Amino acid sequence: MNKILLVIQREYATRVRKPSFWVLTIVVPLLLAAVYAIPIILSAHSTEHVNVLVVDESGLFQQQFQSNNDITYMDAGSLGYAQRQLKEVDSIDAVVYIPARATTIPTDAFLYYRSDKPTMQVQRDVDNQLQVILRNAILLDVNNISEEDYALITGTSIRLHQLDLETGRDGFLQVKIVLAMLLAIIIFFSIFSFGSQVMRGVAEEKSSRIVEVIICSVRPFQLMMGKVVGIGLVGLTQFLLWLLLSAVAVLGIQFSNKDLFEQAQQQVSITQVATKGTDATAQMDALQQQGLVSELMQGLASIDFAAIILTFVFFFIFGYMLYASLFAAIGSLVDADTSEQQYTIPLTLPLMLPVLLMPAMMDAPSGTLSTWLSIIPFTSPIAMMFRIPFGVPYWQLALSMLLLVATFFGGVWLSGRVYKSAILYYGHKISYRDLFRWMRRQSG
Amino acid sequence: MLDIQHISKSYGSFKALDDISLHVNRGAIFGLLGPNGAGKSTLIRIINRISMPDSGSVFFDGHPMTDDDVRMVGYLPEERGLYKKMRVGEQAIYLARLKGLSYHEAAERLREWFSRFDITDWWNRPVEQLSKGMQQKLQFIVTVLHRPPLLIFDEPFSGFDPVNAALLKDEILSLRDEGATVIFSTHNMASVEELCDDIALINASHVVLQGSLDEVRRLHPGRSLNDIFIRTVRDAHPSSASANEVQ
Repeated sequence: MNKILLVIQREYATRVRKPSFWVLTIVVPLLLAAVYAIPIILSAHSTEHVNVLVVDESGLFQQQFQSNNDITYMDAGSLGYAQRQLKEVDSIDAVVYIPARATTIPTDAFLYYRSDKPTMQVQRDVDNQLQVILRNAILLDVNNISEEDYALITGTSIRLHQLDLETGRDGFLQVKIVLAMLLAIIIFFSIFSFGSQVMRGVAEEKSSRIVEVIICSVRPFQLMMGKVVGIGLVGLTQFLLWLLLSAVAVLGIQFSNKDLFEQAQQQVSITQVATKGTDATAQMDALQQQGLVSELMQGLASIDFAAIILTFVFFFIFGYMLYASLFAAIGSLVDADTSEQQYTIPLTLPLMLPVLLMPAMMDAPSGTLSTWLSIIPFTSPIAMMFRIPFGVPYWQLALSMLLLVATFFGGVWLSGRVYKSAILYYGHKISYRDLFRWMRRQSG
Repeated sequence: MLDIQHISKSYGSFKALDDISLHVNRGAIFGLLGPNGAGKSTLIRIINRISMPDSGSVFFDGHPMTDDDVRMVGYLPEERGLYKKMRVGEQAIYLARLKGLSYHEAAERLREWFSRFDITDWWNRPVEQLSKGMQQKLQFIVTVLHRPPLLIFDEPFSGFDPVNAALLKDEILSLRDEGATVIFSTHNMASVEELCDDIALINASHVVLQGSLDEVRRLHPGRSLNDIFIRTVRDAHPSSASANEVQ
């Protein structure tokens, strides 16, 4: 066991020390930060005044929206009228629509906009006011409520949807699609590039005959798994650093645009009406602040990041281990005069399939194609990461994970057999017949 | 120490080794001679269990050789096996630890060997910057560092200048004196005469001459080893197996 740790240590240390590792580690969060920062900075410095029409069918929000220096709220009679205004009158920028519901408390509100989306500032202001008005309305309506009920009420919120007036598309959906593509592409490139590193490492050890020198002290399987695990840990280190650096970058952006955030917070406190003991007020403040942080991410707010990160780590670990061990087997087949090309194609094809089919999956993230791709082990790491932001039923997730783990064990076992025979096989081109013989037999 | 009995190995239709039998004495230096392509490296790889014979067996200390016995072997392959991008010292320590030495033990022994081979300055350089001879020195050190009882060197002198070759010869002799058994393959007859206790000559997959160096000399009086080598290869009959029969 000690030997495998030595191999892991070497594979890890030699790679993490490379400058290329650090370049990639720093560049990716910077790019992400730029993507995140640009809209915020743009909206923070937009000075244009915005007019928003409010259509309230619930009766709770009429006359309650507070206008400020940047945004004027006006009540409108019907949704049809307001939408016509939005379409025809240039000075009207958005419509907030709160539909009537059977129950007294509305759960959803809609923000209609024209061709370009309302700025973050408008989105946030509308959302804040919706939440505060709703809570105040409930509090004014109910006397003598208990502390627990109070906490429950302050926890209720109204979901704000964004809709493009022309296309009727949910604005949040686009955020999810971008996130889905990003996750799928990151996991694809990670598995592919770290897997190829395993293959090249194995081929190097074979062609330079290093393996002949060390095979008397390390078992072939230890050498193979040491390499797979060592390089996998490099990948996990990279993700961890990406996550940390991205968090630092995002917090940095929030801090440097402090005015924007404080402004939003003040608006919330102005409209605060109800007080019920200092504890409750503090609690409410806390809840509102909590709300602010997540509202910052707007469309992302409805997405569970912890779940995404955990799923990503799981699918990376097992997807990578499955592919990397197969890549290792391919590396062991490579000889000076044979190229690995002929062996890698059967392996890269299933890996690339979900990436190629991404446009089709985008149309129906929970459709038949997406579902199958996210359950079949060889395509599941990428397809599942694509589906995750849209929500995946638990049984599908569990089935997919189970199948991937089972395939991983099978793949490692098979690769170990091929590797053991092929790594010391020189001088003759390895045929597919040799390959199948090795898979079946203990050694060649 | 090592008994090789009736080993045969074919690659497709090519017969690399045909019924080879050899005996290597404990504590002796055994020279494995033969022209290019005779099958020396194939035999060495079979002893190391890198490849398996089609038939025949290798006995180590009287029992059939196992994977565990291979741990007793220090093997220097003909083609140098080192990680090119890795630093010299780091690599040497890594390989030594794989062979079971502790970090400190490895570092201490390496310091000693590096100064003896005059390569201490190269400790922090990547291996790819080393000349071929330097890489060979490093590889040699790594092979013997954990003091295995059986040492197998495939063409240890190729690529060495006379000064370094002499250095290497001295080291091989002192390893023998410390109790190690040494097998090495070579075309270099001078090194054979200086080092070997016993020799075997392999030609075209067969052993054509075998015995102690003194014995071989006695059977071919007045001839240089080089001369014996050339004549034997030219006159070789595939069926002949030992020095006596050649005579």
